[in-house]
Amino acid sequence: MGLKLDQLTKVFQNETAVNALSAEIKPGTIFGMLGSNGAGKTTTFRMILGLIDPTEGKAEWHSTRLSYQLTRLVGYLPEERGLYPKLTVKQQLHYFMKLKGMHKKEFREEMRSWLSRFQIEEYENRRVEELSKGNQQKIQFMASVLHKPELLILDEPFSGLDPVNSDMLKRAVLDLQKQGTTILFSSHQMHNVEELCDELMMLKKGNVILQGKLAEIKSSYPVKSIVIRGAEELPSLDELPGVLSIRKGKLESVVQVSGAEAAERVFRRCSETTWLKKFDLQEPSLHEIFVDQMGGEEHA
Amino acid sequence: MRNFWITVSHTAVRRITSKSFIISTAVMAFLVMAFFIIPALLQTTASDEGTTVFIADTSEWDGAAAARFHELQEMETEIAGSAEEAERRAEEANGAALIITGDTEELQGELLVEGDEAMLVEQTGDILDRVQASLYAERVLELDETEAGPLFGGVEVSQSLIAGAEERPQAFSGSYWMVYGLVFIIYLIVVSFGSMIATEVAAEKSSRVMELIVSSVSPVTQMFGKLAGIGIAGLVNLAAIAAAAAAGAWLSGEETITFILDEVLDYSLLGYALLFIVLGYVLYGGLAAMTGALVSRAEEANQAMQPIIFLAMIAFFISIVALNAPELPVFRILSYVPFFTPQLLFLRIGMETVPAWEIALIIVILIASAILVNLAAARVYKGGVLMYGKFSFRQSIGRAIAVSKKES
Repeated sequence: MGLKLDQLTKVFQNETAVNALSAEIKPGTIFGMLGSNGAGKTTTFRMILGLIDPTEGKAEWHSTRLSYQLTRLVGYLPEERGLYPKLTVKQQLHYFMKLKGMHKKEFREEMRSWLSRFQIEEYENRRVEELSKGNQQKIQFMASVLHKPELLILDEPFSGLDPVNSDMLKRAVLDLQKQGTTILFSSHQMHNVEELCDELMMLKKGNVILQGKLAEIKSSYPVKSIVIRGAEELPSLDELPGVLSIRKGKLESVVQVSGAEAAERVFRRCSETTWLKKFDLQEPSLHEIFVDQMGGEEHA
Repeated sequence: MRNFWITVSHTAVRRITSKSFIISTAVMAFLVMAFFIIPALLQTTASDEGTTVFIADTSEWDGAAAARFHELQEMETEIAGSAEEAERRAEEANGAALIITGDTEELQGELLVEGDEAMLVEQTGDILDRVQASLYAERVLELDETEAGPLFGGVEVSQSLIAGAEERPQAFSGSYWMVYGLVFIIYLIVVSFGSMIATEVAAEKSSRVMELIVSSVSPVTQMFGKLAGIGIAGLVNLAAIAAAAAAGAWLSGEETITFILDEVLDYSLLGYALLFIVLGYVLYGGLAAMTGALVSRAEEANQAMQPIIFLAMIAFFISIVALNAPELPVFRILSYVPFFTPQLLFLRIGMETVPAWEIALIIVILIASAILVNLAAARVYKGGVLMYGKFSFRQSIGRAIAVSKKES
């Protein structure tokens, strides 16, 4: 149950935008989709929503293909944001929620509650063109959640937001998860993904290159970083097998290695020549994994 | 269906309450009203009830000419004792002075006015002609009223067909103005409402609100909702202009209303007029919506609409030519072409005898074409609304279909 993607594929004029993508996302999970531009994230979202038909495979929510009859169950924040500039906040949210089948009274209560949460109550009757970009983004977010969807798809929800608004939105996303909403989201900002996601999928040119629970991906990822601080200058480590890169700082150096064996070799070499004040083998950050996966073909 | 009506009301209300719509409708209504009122006003000014003509008769008729002029009561007149008195009183009352001179055989009149009163001069001359003729017949020729009657009775000219000529249907002159009006109205609807549809769709795309909308309502439902919504806005626009025309006709006098009701409107054609307006709108509107979905920015919509506007212009010019010779076979053939049907078939029905089976056949072709065009447009629209980038008609249609279709 939940969201099931089964061999989801989309081909545009002989170009494969999404290739045989499969995943099972349980209700109440926050699932991240990562990938550089053109990786196929938005196309995947559009296929899940039923905006475009898959060339092969299927996407189902609780074993039913999403269609316009089930629009009330889904909330969507597209990557390309847009509102009617000449309409007031209330007018356009009312229009969007009417399309979702929401009743006026319920809409009014929900809208005021969210406006208050985002501290923009005074903008209810203001035209959108009079609002700052950050506040417009809050309204767009509201347009995707006011009707209390079971499945929420957020395409780059934090782009363009200042840290205060970004935190406000993150808290809202986590609260929605607590209420049982299943959330699928994409982001280029890895720290946001690390903070929010239970599971993730990394896409490159339409293909899945990494998939699973965030903690497992990080612990099992072969490339690790070692933070080293020696009493004297560190010996040359470049020629050691498994050493991928060395970044020297004023006090500490960060050495990237391909696995535990390489880390052991680095420890032995360093301890032969100097007294080690610090030798900390760390799991890679999601940012490092992303750069590693997107940057070179060897790990893909 | 629920979302269709939500889209219809949203589109119609937003369009009708927009500043540009209100201003353009008000300007059009004003111009139409002026079109009716100004000629009537000019006429009224010429024979202005407020312009009193003070008549001084110094001719050999010895006051009888002025008295007869006054009796005719075709303009407001007062008789003065002398030319000076007439001129003085005209000056005081801001009117005109007519000084009648001459003998019983040749009467002359001099009209003293402020400014240029060409129509008043012509009208005065006409009345004076009749005054002279009636006085001469009565006093010089000594004819009584019965004998003088034929002199002023006028001659009636009738028309009939020359030998060998084919009879033209009676409807020709009767429906000419209505046909002309509808040909123009369809052209106006296609050009203005078509552009309105394309711009509306393109504006939603360029403001990026489109993707949010089509995640809640199917693009096809949304497209037809927009067509209906703008159609309603168009009807409001037409109703306002028609109301302005009616008000203008009413203000300009009973004659104009009688002329419109009796001479311009052909009641047997009203049903056809409505049918062709609706079908023409649906046919061209589908194409306009598709065009709007293919462009990324509202500014590109007008450029993209050019081929459709050219098509409408061709239909319009063909119809204008056909108005003078609707019976030519070329116009009969062209009336089968769906994009020309609304104007040309209406024109043929109004101005010649078209068999019922032919009317039914052409209307069926038009309805089938409108359905096909709209199905194709909906297919392109579905992909087009999710597509951004440089506009090229052929390539954009190909890309839009590729986005919307299931198989690669």
